[in-house]
Amino acid sequence: MTVGAARDMDRGPVNDRPEDPSRLIENLAGRAISLELGSLDLCFVAALRLRSRTGETTSFSEQQLVDAFRDVCALTQPEATGVARRATAAIQRLRDQRLLSRVDGAGVVRSGAYTLTRLATSIVDFYLEEEALTGESLTLLLRTLHTSLIELREQARASTTARECSDRVVGPLRVTIRDLVDGIERRQRGLDLQQERFQQEIGNLLAADWFDAVARCQDLLEETTTTLRELNAVLLRDAHTLVTLLEDIRELAEERGAPDANEACRRLSEQLERIAAWGLARQHTWSEYYQYVHRFLRDVVRLDPTRALTERLRAELGGKAGRSYSLVVAAQPPLVVPRELTPPRDRPPLERPRTEREKPLQEAVADDRDQALTATVQAVLAGGARTLSSVTEAVVSPLPEAERFSTAGRVAEVAARLAKAESARERAWTRADEGIWIEEWSLTPSAKEG
Amino acid sequence: MTATKFVTLGDAVLDEQFPPVDLALRRGRHVDRDDAEWFGFLRDAEDVLEPFYRRYGAELVYRADGYYYLLPSGDKLTKRQLGVAEMLVGQALTLLYLDPANVEQGGRVTREQVLAHLATVMGTDALIRTLNPKRRKYDERVAQETVRARVADALRRLAALGFVEALAAEEFKLRPALMRFAEPVRASADSSEALSRLVASGEVAFAPAEPGTEVGGGPDGDDAFEGHAANEGGDDPEPTNADATAALDVSEFEDFGFEDVEPGTEVEEPDEAGVLE
Repeated sequence: MTVGAARDMDRGPVNDRPEDPSRLIENLAGRAISLELGSLDLCFVAALRLRSRTGETTSFSEQQLVDAFRDVCALTQPEATGVARRATAAIQRLRDQRLLSRVDGAGVVRSGAYTLTRLATSIVDFYLEEEALTGESLTLLLRTLHTSLIELREQARASTTARECSDRVVGPLRVTIRDLVDGIERRQRGLDLQQERFQQEIGNLLAADWFDAVARCQDLLEETTTTLRELNAVLLRDAHTLVTLLEDIRELAEERGAPDANEACRRLSEQLERIAAWGLARQHTWSEYYQYVHRFLRDVVRLDPTRALTERLRAELGGKAGRSYSLVVAAQPPLVVPRELTPPRDRPPLERPRTEREKPLQEAVADDRDQALTATVQAVLAGGARTLSSVTEAVVSPLPEAERFSTAGRVAEVAARLAKAESARERAWTRADEGIWIEEWSLTPSAKEG
Repeated sequence: MTATKFVTLGDAVLDEQFPPVDLALRRGRHVDRDDAEWFGFLRDAEDVLEPFYRRYGAELVYRADGYYYLLPSGDKLTKRQLGVAEMLVGQALTLLYLDPANVEQGGRVTREQVLAHLATVMGTDALIRTLNPKRRKYDERVAQETVRARVADALRRLAALGFVEALAAEEFKLRPALMRFAEPVRASADSSEALSRLVASGEVAFAPAEPGTEVGGGPDGDDAFEGHAANEGGDDPEPTNADATAALDVSEFEDFGFEDVEPGTEVEEPDEAGVLE
């Protein structure tokens, strides 16, 4: 069996003041905390613890330690040899792990006197004591706590200076009251362990005895349920009163300027609230478990006292039964929820445009280009032009470039109408304008002109 | 509360619990005492709801194990058979429910526990072959992965039906409705008589259909999953071409002016100018 024990030899215990958890963990890791305790070592420590209780001894001589180890060996390892040597090694291991401390201070002058440390007593007490919280113990602890807090409140009222208040109130808050609250929490953890054991026991009882275990299972369930109900009722009733008392003490201490009163009261209030919350949480969890087990006992164990159903179902699943089957269940698809639609806009019916298609006639000056061209050509001929190229050039050169080519043909037509046109057999191409080449004619004004 | 709370159907329908309970029942949900409000509502309203659901061809069933469910017997409400994986996992969960070892945990089991139990009772090979039915030769790793996936899917579906409650991704709480899986073997070791009775009442059907097979009515809402599961497990019947053709109604297609062409007929290619000669 191996459990932990502190191997830090050089530094003091961890400070109980509120500190950053990460820093505390780092501190512990830095100090290489470790524990190595075998079953024999634990039994040795337990034997010392029991002797210290019954013999009313405050310390052990070296011979008493060796005798205790010898007795433990005789019980646990009767065939062991070299017991004295092993005892020396065991004592040294306990010393190294701060489970055994020397208290005489005589050094080499004489053999030492030893006592178990708080670490050692805590470890063995876990195994030796059944410190589960019960309605009685909780009521007693809370009543003591209540009385102590009332007394401290009176002390706080009576104190006049900060120093006096600190000595008479804050000190006891940190030690006496805290020990009481720690005692409640320790017993709560004990009850948690007890519940876990009960759960295991119920499972084991059913596995072993099945139908015959029903009564015992119900007893275990009822026992824990009653305990939790009582605890919760006590906690609900008293926790609020205790927190109110702590608040009174804090206010009184603050009025007198006592340092650290606020912090001490706050931590105790948090502990009390945690204790109350524990009661609610455990009752809720146990309630679920209670219902489940009761249902199991009623619906499974009582209806199948020989566990035949399990065997039949196992055979069914293992394929040793007959025809396979399948359960039928309702399977209505979810209601169809159509998406929201935007109604389409109505198309306007086809119709004629309301406005008149044809624009109304407007009065305009007539644009008689032929006449204008004729007048121009006539003027050019009158000006003495006698070849078609010269007439064409004279007429088209003032025009926009895009109109020149089309106008050139019309110039020829007008010129032929206004004058007598002649050409050689071989008509030469002559430039009439930029990009316009025409066959040359000679023009002679005729009688038609004018 | 007593069963006299709802005197008329109208009172029950007007209760705020009616819509969610009604929808849940129609989707196959089993309601037990852990669904405290729903269960209380059904206890109070069962007298008026039973005739109500009977008009839909369904029966509101209450079992002495402490749960309600809706069992469609006609074709007005859709129903389905549980798939192979769901049945196996359901039966394994029922065995775990009956196992006193799980009492310590208050009926909480993990997916791994379910798989381990299945493998123990059925045997690993049988489990793999049952959940990989189409694969004569399989890769062990892939087949095991398929089993894990199908068991996880089955657990999810059984949780939706109220047979278990999903507490976390891998943890489930066993619920009393699991006892439905034990009904055929409850009375005696010979399940044939009980099965015949259950088949007659519509509780079970022989020859488990593939996952989610509908017995009547419209499609299941989890069709996508069905396809997935079927592909993984390979036990879903694949549709044939003949089926596909039969399912088509040609008259529904518009006539776009295409001409029927006999097979083998050569089609003249247009010339370069795009004009058929």
